Amino acid sequence: MKFKPQIWHLLLFFWITIIIIRVELLIDLVVLWAKYFLLFISDFNIAMQLLDFNLIDSILSIKLFIIIPIILFLFRKKSLWLKASLNFSSLTLVMLLLAFIFAPIITDENPEFQKDLKMTKLLTPLSSVKILHLSKKENTPTSALEKFINYKHKIIKPSYNENIILVNNVEVKSDRIVYSQKNIQKEINFSDVQIKDGIPFVTNKIFILGTDEFGRDIFTRLIYGARISLLVGIGAVVVSLLIGLSFGFIAGFKGGFIDIIFSRLTDLFLAFPIIYFIVLILALFGNSLLAVIIVLGLSGWMGLFKIVKSEVLAEKNKDYIITAGMLGQTNRKILTKEILPVIFVPLVVNIVFQFSNVILAESALSYLGLGTGNSYPSWGAMIESGQRYIIKAWWMISFPGLILVATLLSANDFGRRLNKVINPGIRK
Amino acid sequence: MNKEFLKALLKRIISSLITLFLLISFLFVLIRLSPGDPTHKFLSAKFSPELKIKVTADFKLDQPIYEQYINFVANIFKGDLGISYNYRMPVLSVVWQFLSFTLLFASISFVIQIIISFYLSIKSIRKKGNTFDKVVSKLSLIVYATPAFVLGVFLIYLFSVQLNLFPSSGSKSLDFDSFSIAGKIGDYFWHLTLPIITLSSAGIAIFYKYLRDNLEETYQQPFILNLRASGYDEKVILIKHVLPNAIRPLISVAGIELGILLGGALITEIIFGLPGMGRLMMSSIFERDYPLVIGCALTAGLIIIISNFIADLLKMKLDKRMIKGLMN
Repeated sequence: MKFKPQIWHLLLFFWITIIIIRVELLIDLVVLWAKYFLLFISDFNIAMQLLDFNLIDSILSIKLFIIIPIILFLFRKKSLWLKASLNFSSLTLVMLLLAFIFAPIITDENPEFQKDLKMTKLLTPLSSVKILHLSKKENTPTSALEKFINYKHKIIKPSYNENIILVNNVEVKSDRIVYSQKNIQKEINFSDVQIKDGIPFVTNKIFILGTDEFGRDIFTRLIYGARISLLVGIGAVVVSLLIGLSFGFIAGFKGGFIDIIFSRLTDLFLAFPIIYFIVLILALFGNSLLAVIIVLGLSGWMGLFKIVKSEVLAEKNKDYIITAGMLGQTNRKILTKEILPVIFVPLVVNIVFQFSNVILAESALSYLGLGTGNSYPSWGAMIESGQRYIIKAWWMISFPGLILVATLLSANDFGRRLNKVINPGIRK
Repeated sequence: MNKEFLKALLKRIISSLITLFLLISFLFVLIRLSPGDPTHKFLSAKFSPELKIKVTADFKLDQPIYEQYINFVANIFKGDLGISYNYRMPVLSVVWQFLSFTLLFASISFVIQIIISFYLSIKSIRKKGNTFDKVVSKLSLIVYATPAFVLGVFLIYLFSVQLNLFPSSGSKSLDFDSFSIAGKIGDYFWHLTLPIITLSSAGIAIFYKYLRDNLEETYQQPFILNLRASGYDEKVILIKHVLPNAIRPLISVAGIELGILLGGALITEIIFGLPGMGRLMMSSIFERDYPLVIGCALTAGLIIIISNFIADLLKMKLDKRMIKGLMN
């Protein structure tokens, strides 16, 4: 029998690979989770104060990571999604989803991490540097809380770490340590560095996809950039779905004057070149993550509106809807219980295509400098900065570009496949 | 021209005008809602409050909002869009300067899109199922999924950085004025080659897909079998019977495609640093040059409205059934 890869095989492969690569990090995260749990029980107030996005993120992802094998074991025979065969588009989409959920596990680096710019600036892919660990300057923690905070900073990496030095080479000369950064040699006292087995404690750090002009790891930024793209995509689609559904229901169900108004409004939005509209609003009102989501959502509801309206118009006069009305169902109930399930199917395909449009628009906006801002890494912004260094560093632009194209390609392909499954009449 | 046609035409014109009117109102609301006091452009906060009142009165900003709105609409219909803060010229003439470039750029790209997609789809439908067809179909999907800014930068890397064949930005050389007329035209197109490839590729992919699907559908209809059975030449069937049927649905796609073209032109102009509408819009937004922003947005909207109108008109000409569709 020929082996056909399915999605759950990929998940299993991912799970095993991560366990092999990141076993230390995983154990640390579990310990962090346990410690936080203890802190949560003993001192609720302080635990709530310590709660920030990174902590929630890490703990959630380690929880989900532990659940993966259980889900696979229970549902791999039953779930259609897990059984679906693996091809280019499903591979890309599942990988993106994994990057979205497990970003803090896949990469143990902070996307904004910068240190020793001279050493890390514009490194080629697969280049490595040595890390010289300095002995901790801070005094030893006394309370349990301080211990927890120290432990948290050890695992959830901040964007700056004063306790390490990135170097090319380390040599021991009598009682001093000489390290070189590019062609500059510096000296440091023996007592200032961590010592292991009589020699300075040095670890290796590999930049798989190289670094950008600020010495930040491109691989990490790509992983975290997937988060932004997916977040904006999902958020904007939800916004346009809400607008399209409500406007479509009202216009289709009431008809008459309201219908005319909404249809003209749709025409207006279709008449305006959408990118002009988005750029105009973002530039006038300022760009932030929320603004980008809302504006992209506002600019994409027209297709959904048209579908919902025509479907509602077609279903409105059918017997079962009229019967439901005669039986005394309220309009709201008819819409949610009777019409929504029927129009859901044609909506799904449109939503997938809308999703790929939004991802494209988000990266285009980031490229123009009107994206989600500098506080989050974004593929479009990476491409934009890559363009400026195109002669010196080809890797800065090619990896985000490739990932963006692969994402859009697979989202389109997924939509087309879904369309074929839902509407079997459509020819290839 | 019968009565029905005229009636449909009138209805179409009125609905276009309503859309235009809504567009203007929408722009007004947007500009009024946006944060920032317009008088700050001319006054520092340190100046006397009397001066501020005077400026506010000069710009009629102290009038009630509905009167401002009426003024705004009236001025636009008079063709007076105000004076650009940055260029110190009437907005219309500034927009016209940049618009002519974008129109030329977009129309060249449009023609190229039509020609290449026709050629490719006809070639691939005639050799349906062979390698050429498969390769072009797959390639069109990839090209369609490639954003303009990725493709444009890739082209710059390949042709400007590595091969040094084409310039990477600008629309004319530094010594442009010293060329003869033929040299000027050649220089222009030399600079526009990469932008046109960038702008056209997505459109080619879209047109190719629609045209190929339409052609395939038409070829499967019974009347083609009848024509073949009657002994008509394949070429005659293609040109006289298949193509006219396949083109019709393409016209509405072309109307939508123009919107994509304008949006793509914005990105392409920014990648290659071309003096077009898109870059004018971006720079005017970033410099808070509100009259120019309104002018750009209005022009872009107007182009789309007019092109949709023309597309509908063509459809009405080609297909009498469309008139009924528009009437309802």
